Amino acid sequence: MCSVSMDASKSNHVYNVKKASFDHTLMPPCQASCPLHMEIREYVDLIAQGRIMEALQVIRDGNPFPSICAYVCTHPCEDACRRGQVDKPIAIRALKRFAVEFGGDRMIRTEGKTVHGEKIAIVGSGPAGLSAAYYLRKSGYPVTIFEAYSELGGMLRVGIPRYRLPREVLDTEVQRLIQMGIEFKTETPVVSLDLLFKMGYRAVFITVGAHQGLRLGIEGEESPGVVDGATFLREINLGLKPSIGEKIAVVGGGNVAIDAARTALRLGAKKVRILYRRSREEMPADHTEVEQAIEEGVEILFLVTPTKIESQDGQLGVTCIRMELGEPDASRRRWPMAIQGSEFHIDLDTLITAIGQAPQVPDDFRLRIGRGSTVRIDPVTLITNREGVFAGGDAVTGPATVVQALATGRQAALRIDEYLQHRYPSAGKDEKEALMGDLLPKTVEAIRKLSRFEPPTLPPQTRATEFEPIELVYDWGSAINEARRCLRCGMGAEILFQDKCATCLTCLRVCPYHVPYLDDSGTVQIPADQCQACGICVAECPAKAIVLRKPQDRRQIDEELDHVLRSATQSKVKPLIIGFCCQYGLYGTGALASLWREAKAGIWIVPVLCVAKIETEHILRAFEIGAEGVFIAGCGQEQCAREDTSFWALQRIGKAKRVLAQIGLEVERLQAFNLYANEEDTAKALDKFTEQIGELYLASAIKQEVKT
Amino acid sequence: MIVAEQKPLEEIGRMIVPYEKILILGCGTCMTVCGAGGEREVSLLHRALSVAQARGGNEAHSFSEYTVKRQCDFEFLDVLVNRVDEVDAVLSLACGVGVQVLAERFPDVPVLPGVNTSFMGAYKEWGVWDERCAACGECRLAETAGICPITRCAKGILNGPCAGSKNGKCEVNKDVDCAWVLIYKRLEKLGQLEKMRRYYPPRNFRPTHRPRRIVSRADISIQEGVNG
Repeated sequence: MCSVSMDASKSNHVYNVKKASFDHTLMPPCQASCPLHMEIREYVDLIAQGRIMEALQVIRDGNPFPSICAYVCTHPCEDACRRGQVDKPIAIRALKRFAVEFGGDRMIRTEGKTVHGEKIAIVGSGPAGLSAAYYLRKSGYPVTIFEAYSELGGMLRVGIPRYRLPREVLDTEVQRLIQMGIEFKTETPVVSLDLLFKMGYRAVFITVGAHQGLRLGIEGEESPGVVDGATFLREINLGLKPSIGEKIAVVGGGNVAIDAARTALRLGAKKVRILYRRSREEMPADHTEVEQAIEEGVEILFLVTPTKIESQDGQLGVTCIRMELGEPDASRRRWPMAIQGSEFHIDLDTLITAIGQAPQVPDDFRLRIGRGSTVRIDPVTLITNREGVFAGGDAVTGPATVVQALATGRQAALRIDEYLQHRYPSAGKDEKEALMGDLLPKTVEAIRKLSRFEPPTLPPQTRATEFEPIELVYDWGSAINEARRCLRCGMGAEILFQDKCATCLTCLRVCPYHVPYLDDSGTVQIPADQCQACGICVAECPAKAIVLRKPQDRRQIDEELDHVLRSATQSKVKPLIIGFCCQYGLYGTGALASLWREAKAGIWIVPVLCVAKIETEHILRAFEIGAEGVFIAGCGQEQCAREDTSFWALQRIGKAKRVLAQIGLEVERLQAFNLYANEEDTAKALDKFTEQIGELYLASAIKQEVKT
Repeated sequence: MIVAEQKPLEEIGRMIVPYEKILILGCGTCMTVCGAGGEREVSLLHRALSVAQARGGNEAHSFSEYTVKRQCDFEFLDVLVNRVDEVDAVLSLACGVGVQVLAERFPDVPVLPGVNTSFMGAYKEWGVWDERCAACGECRLAETAGICPITRCAKGILNGPCAGSKNGKCEVNKDVDCAWVLIYKRLEKLGQLEKMRRYYPPRNFRPTHRPRRIVSRADISIQEGVNG
């Protein structure tokens, strides 16, 4: 291939970026636990600032189908979130949903251009297949997806119920792939790989999923009225309306069991029970989904398993037995054992078995099959025993999550690209060191507890009767306040210049979280896994030896001031007023923005990411460039995740006022608003301030006139 | 640690009047720790002087800034050669020692003090320092339970407390602890109250011969060393 487009060369680097060494931020636990390694901390921070479109950009950079993940992701990031050690984890998935809906994801168009000649076939249009297709197409390959069913999406379509993932969302993403030039062939089961190679495909990616329900292995399982969960969900999702009767039981404790039970309710079943052989604690299904199922009226019988099924006149008589938990097994869950003599009977119309699924790979593929009927692959290159044949997704791992499938798809795209371009498989190492370690109890103690905002859901009575999506999207205020809870792990302060450090211990003394400490050799350490990135020590260090790990954070205020200086000198409006305003929260993004647009005087805003980062020097610089008045506006603290920020802002304001007084400038020219919650009406206060500055400016202008 | 405070802006303003180009020079040791003249204070002073100048309307000066690790040793000052060459005066935020060493190192350039060197002291709380040592050259702390009556007693008496001690506070300032009450309490705790009962003869208050010098090298005899 002679020419490689910008796009293609860029996507090759997606996997192995070496960031500029100035960035010392560590990978936060949320990002490390995400199979896609999405930059969660960054987009949550952008949402907290109300920069929703930029947040969506970050999300789209790391995820091929963010709108899908926004609905159905199992969010391992939330399980890893260190806010959970303080109160509850950040609602990351719901925030992503907010960014997707409010950031205009639907408007985003994707493009694909063919720069390579090698055709690639993808067998299966599930999340892994779609993700691989997306990235391969972005790299410039012609891609064809073969799908056995009549509709695209694999488990996204036939496994996940509509109330969890609206079909329009899936359709939009598929439409985008079609726009990119990816070819789809539905109702085309692939029976032979040889045929694909004969058709000219140079590489094949097998993502056939795991659609075959596992069997209970008990008497009477073949009876009519017994159906496996995957088949049940598939039939409904493909538009069939099986009659299931009124009394239903689902066997299993995973997400499919919950989905099947809730779907049965929505089909009009009167009594839906889940039979699970272990207890609530061992249940692998998503906690929230279990809660929601119970709210909707699903009854869960724990420590119960069916042992025999009898069928009579379309009715099922199921014998169940109670279990007790023994020792933990290999999966570290306690192994259930039957309690002798505890049998009981239940009458059912339909029994749905959802105890797991396995892939079903045609023998003609001649692939090596391993445990649980899964395809065996090389874990690094994803290549199977056949040349040019790669595999991934549930077909390899057994039933897993959507986000895992997306990550596999992305990896497969890279490996296939390497294979076709005869490149050595790249190491694909993460460019950043991951943040390790839990918060110390004393740090946890010092962190402000902030309750988690849950997105609203439809009331259980309404939702149990229809297939409408049950979770609603955040409103603007809740989303921003939820995002502000983020602890911003791994982007805190560090002593960049140890030789400059005078070991004055100022940082130890000013830190609200007691993070810096003096080690045994007498050196100050700021452990990255404890620092809360408030920036107070950075602004207080008398030797200027401490910086924030993120380069953009270091000069943010200076750069914004420079920008204001450039723009303000163009403006003829006098008097010039400069306001340093916190960008977090509603005040910074909404109320304030409208305020200063309407203001009469030339008010210029320097956005700051927390008032604790403003230094006395910044305030003085504003006066130096000709500001007649300067104000500092905080976020009002109520939902601020940080401690002591107003105290330190006031310290620096006090210091600046001292300088003003010595120079002979009125200290009224410098004011603070909204540093603490429940202050007087900020809009009025700012109006008053503007007026005052106007008068002072007039007075000094007259004085100047008199002098000359 | 040596503790100082920055001079009022107005005084500094007057000092620099004759000079156009001025280097504001910080000190990275004591003055950084006590917050009077570290890198942060240097740039803050730079800003403050610039604002004063901008608002005053006469842009007469141009400032540059730099901070060395210590100004009280010649070796640290070598890096300044080019910088000092370019300016008309150096405004030093070091203690009096640093200012003098600087003046000696750069004999042709006026050196101006930006801080008032105040005392030797310790950190009390954030932004607050207390005097602790008078550098009297005759340490008595072994007898006074580690609490210096020379520095911490308003009268500096050696056999206290005096009659001005009320409820553990000093008559000179009700907010200040009586040093001798502190000494008594600590001696009591240490079981050494007999040290209170002893009489300590008056110190020799005749003026000390200044400047003092300490010689620790073996090849110069002590006799030679004193005022040598």
